[in-house]
Amino acid sequence: MIDIKDLVMTFSGVTVLDHISETINKGEKIVIVGPSGSGKSTFLRCLNMLERPTSGQILFEGKDLTKAKEEELDKIRMKMGMVFQNFNLFPHMTVRQNITIAPKRLGLLTKEEADAKAEELLEIVGLPDKIDSYPSTLSGGQKQRIAIARALAVDPDVMLFDEPTSALDPEMVGEVLQLMKKLADDGMTMVVVTHEMSFAKEVASRVLFVADGNILEQAPPKEFFENPKNPRLKDFLSKIL
Amino acid sequence: MSALVSDFKQNFIENARWEYLTNGLKTTLLVTVGAVLLGFILGFLVAIVRSTHDRTGRMKILNFLCKIYLTVIRGTPMVVQLMIMYFVIFGSVVFFGSVELSKYIVAILAFGINSGAYVAEIVRSGIMAVDSGQIEAGRSLGFSYRQTMRLIVLPQAFKAVLPALANEFIVLLKETSVAGYIGIVDLTKGGDIIRSQTYSAFMPLLAVAFIYLVMVMILSHLVQRLERRLAKSDRH
Ligand SMILES: Nc1ncnc2c1ncn2[C@@H]1O[C@H](COP(=O)(O)OP(=O)(O)O)[C@@H](O)[C@H]1O
Ligand SMILES: [Mg+2]
Repeated sequence: MIDIKDLVMTFSGVTVLDHISETINKGEKIVIVGPSGSGKSTFLRCLNMLERPTSGQILFEGKDLTKAKEEELDKIRMKMGMVFQNFNLFPHMTVRQNITIAPKRLGLLTKEEADAKAEELLEIVGLPDKIDSYPSTLSGGQKQRIAIARALAVDPDVMLFDEPTSALDPEMVGEVLQLMKKLADDGMTMVVVTHEMSFAKEVASRVLFVADGNILEQAPPKEFFENPKNPRLKDFLSKIL
Repeated sequence: MSALVSDFKQNFIENARWEYLTNGLKTTLLVTVGAVLLGFILGFLVAIVRSTHDRTGRMKILNFLCKIYLTVIRGTPMVVQLMIMYFVIFGSVVFFGSVELSKYIVAILAFGINSGAYVAEIVRSGIMAVDSGQIEAGRSLGFSYRQTMRLIVLPQAFKAVLPALANEFIVLLKETSVAGYIGIVDLTKGGDIIRSQTYSAFMPLLAVAFIYLVMVMILSHLVQRLERRLAKSDRH
């Protein structure tokens, strides 16, 4: 579904992603771990072209995004939902408006259909009574669940999560991970940057260790955690487990 | 006391001289409202160009032109801009066959173009204050840069700068007092005409000052209420 070929990203001379090649298949749940500053967010943001790679190719469903026009990219981003560490809900809109604005304004659904979709999604994320609330009245965990609902409203083929629980109070991490697990069980293709190793163990089909702008090791979770080979990974795991 | 009363009569009642003030006030308000509208439109356009350039590096030429506009307008006195607009740029142009109307149009243009430069920087600061995560969220949903600006960034920026924009209206109300330089009889000029007819400066000029002051106080009060309303709606 996503083919990454020789991806390089440099910011004013500093190489953050250094010739990464990887394939993400439909239905996979990729979990990316690694020390902070290693380029995980940049990698994710290159996948949906929020950041334009310095060189290399990103093929999404066969189409090379690095050569796509802006208008094409807008359409393609719709197919790649993104969830951020800081939620980035629209503060001037109610929960309903947050969820319906994209399908309505992008011409995917009528107002009535979008409203019905919002109600359906709010059932799924377990917050049906918050439909007319403003984001500022929600807890962190609730905000992130709404942000997930908002991303799902345009029916993406893949969901990208950038440390979705890192800004949450510990007692709210569970509700968000649970929702993500539900998504995974429903067959969503997911790429998740996280420090929640329990989530990686439980949900991931593959875990990638990113450090120094490269994928230094990758394996199914059991092997990844029980039998790490790269010394950097061993060191990393010993610090966080 | 009786001297004050006769002074008042002479300056405002005789020959219905108070009409200089009421008609002048109307003119002042007309020019101010017209200029504010033009200033807001110009200011928003310039702010969008400037912040788009700051964020994306696009619109280089437009951004350059906007910078010249801001520098020139903010670096020269309003009165000089007004006179250049009237005597140089539109020196021989008569709009709709009416010299009177032409003066108003030129004044609205001059004050509006001037105000636009200040509005632009107010709005730009509002746009830049919107978290870049908002833009990323908008883009990740499939919105174009333009849609993201219109639906997500500008509404938030507008709300944030609304009190500052309302203050700009107050500033402009006072700035238009130089309209007399191109022969427009606004509130200030109206008072000055009374002075020149009655040879007494005290009453007409204090009346003019008083009218400005009352308007500014009312408007300031409204701005304060607006600020409180907005602060409340932020919390919900
Ligand atoms: N827009 C940018 N401009 C300059 N440097 C950046 C930018 N985005 C990220 N970086 C740098 O790239 C490196 C990797 O950042 P990031 O991808 O956010 O790491 P991670 O998500 O793994 O913590 C960091 O050193 C960061 O400072
Ligand atoms: Mg990061």
